[in-house]
Amino acid sequence: MSKIELKDWQEKIRTPEIECISRDEMASIQSKRLVEVVNRVYDNVPFYHEKMKDLGVEPGDIKDISDINKLPFTTKEDIRNNYPFGLRAVPEEQVVRVQGTSGTTGKLTVIPYTQKDIDVWGECLARELTMAGLTKEDRIHICYGYGLFTGGMGLDIGVSKLGATAIPMSSGNTKRQMMCMEDFGATAFACTPSYALYLAESLKEAGVIPRLKIKAGIHGAEPWTKAMREKIEGILGINCFDIYGLCEISGPGVAMDCIHHKGLHIQVDHFYPEILDPGTGTATKEGEYGELVFTTLSKEAYPLLRYRTKDITSIDYSRCDCGRTLPRISTFKGRTDDMKVIRGVNVFPTQVEQALVSMGGAVAPHYLLVVDRVNNLDVLTVMVEVDESYFSDEIKKLDALRDKVGKVLKQALGIAVKVKLVEPKTIQRSEGKATRVIDNREI
Amino acid sequence: MIKQLSVFVDNRPGSLSEITDNLKEAKVDIRAIASFDTPEFAILRLIVDKPEEAKEFLADKGFIVKISDAIGVELTDETGSLNNLLSFLAEADINLNYIYTFIYRNRKAPVLVFGTDEIDSAIKTLKDAGEVLVDHSEL
Ligand SMILES: [Zn+2]
Repeated sequence: MSKIELKDWQEKIRTPEIECISRDEMASIQSKRLVEVVNRVYDNVPFYHEKMKDLGVEPGDIKDISDINKLPFTTKEDIRNNYPFGLRAVPEEQVVRVQGTSGTTGKLTVIPYTQKDIDVWGECLARELTMAGLTKEDRIHICYGYGLFTGGMGLDIGVSKLGATAIPMSSGNTKRQMMCMEDFGATAFACTPSYALYLAESLKEAGVIPRLKIKAGIHGAEPWTKAMREKIEGILGINCFDIYGLCEISGPGVAMDCIHHKGLHIQVDHFYPEILDPGTGTATKEGEYGELVFTTLSKEAYPLLRYRTKDITSIDYSRCDCGRTLPRISTFKGRTDDMKVIRGVNVFPTQVEQALVSMGGAVAPHYLLVVDRVNNLDVLTVMVEVDESYFSDEIKKLDALRDKVGKVLKQALGIAVKVKLVEPKTIQRSEGKATRVIDNREI
Repeated sequence: MIKQLSVFVDNRPGSLSEITDNLKEAKVDIRAIASFDTPEFAILRLIVDKPEEAKEFLADKGFIVKISDAIGVELTDETGSLNNLLSFLAEADINLNYIYTFIYRNRKAPVLVFGTDEIDSAIKTLKDAGEVLVDHSEL
């Protein structure tokens, strides 16, 4: 196959009556559903009943979606403290499935679903599979893991809803994956981007790519870059899409990007997003970055109010070139866990990275933030590696480079920064969780 | 003309010896060394017998190294000789970026090394004034 160029792409929209409606029309759907969900959790989940009482909020105070900021937050810790099913909002007999996640801290998060929850989840995915150009004629090779993890099962439910054929491979055994992909004539596949790249390279090595019918890849559950997407697309001659989800909210399919790759369209008739200042918990200006917070508008078994994802992003509400009005979240800028409040300003390490990259190679994008408190004043030092091509043997030129980096960072972060140029390769490389910030303040 | 190595180093204990250790391992002979410090980093300037090899070896080890041209002038052992030399350059309006000296082994004479953005006119000025320039091949 060969990758379909944007000009030749024919957009298919499964539910234009939802995906392309005006913001006001969407708000009225959201308002109606918010009122319902608030009543349900108030009546059926003691945790929310207490929380709302503590805030002095009654279900009657919530009249439309703009009242959402009166509602209490839910955190990952709240879910853990009510492990396993303490936040369930329906009687046991209505639950038909549980899915979950093994957190990095050990304790599981397990989420129950009613049949309607499964249907909604599947519907969101079916919209997104359609967005990837797939129809019921397609065969989708699912090499996400099946089991408690939502990846495999979630895609499976979505493929069923679309009416396409699910090939439930689960993860692992690349040889067998390659054989089945070829023999069964899969037209799309779904897995993490890192496995997609590995599989693509293995397929290339085995020389089977010319015999494949694959035309699309659906990848998510870990961050990846445009360069990585283009690499997978290039090797396999396909179009790849970025899918996002979290099991607390439903699973994969909360959002996905379209062929224009200008942010991930959120299924906002079911999952209401807010972007909040992580420090104060108040809404940021539209288009600005902040913490992504979700309220499930239609969930029955396990509705969550204002769940704090800790992911930092921004939302674009303008109509997309694909025709959808579903708002789009941008690439995640980082996690609130990495955020530092320095002299009252929220600073994310990824902002530093982006600023350094924008300097076009003058310094390497390897850096370390060190926060100190000197005479009751926060001091941010950014250690930056000098790049070989920009090294000058004159001190005045290095001083000028340092000053320039300082200026660029001040512009990006909004606070003054002390820059320290260091030798190459002295800063730890990031393979996932590198230390990007050292906070020496005693607060 | 002299081929000089410049190496970027952090200002921390042991950073200079890391470089000299590496050069020893590469069997490179150091003729002269000078360090130019700021509170945070330093530029170490070296004159060695095999600049290209030394650069490659250090770059492989992750150091930032640059080879640049510098001018070496033999100083006569007389009062005022340095002052004379500098005033020729000043009169020709030539700006010096850095300056250091070392002893020229073969003739046991001190050599002044300096860097400038105006190498060609500096060479011409010094030659016209009758100064003795030192070439890398003579070291
Ligand atoms: Zn779009």
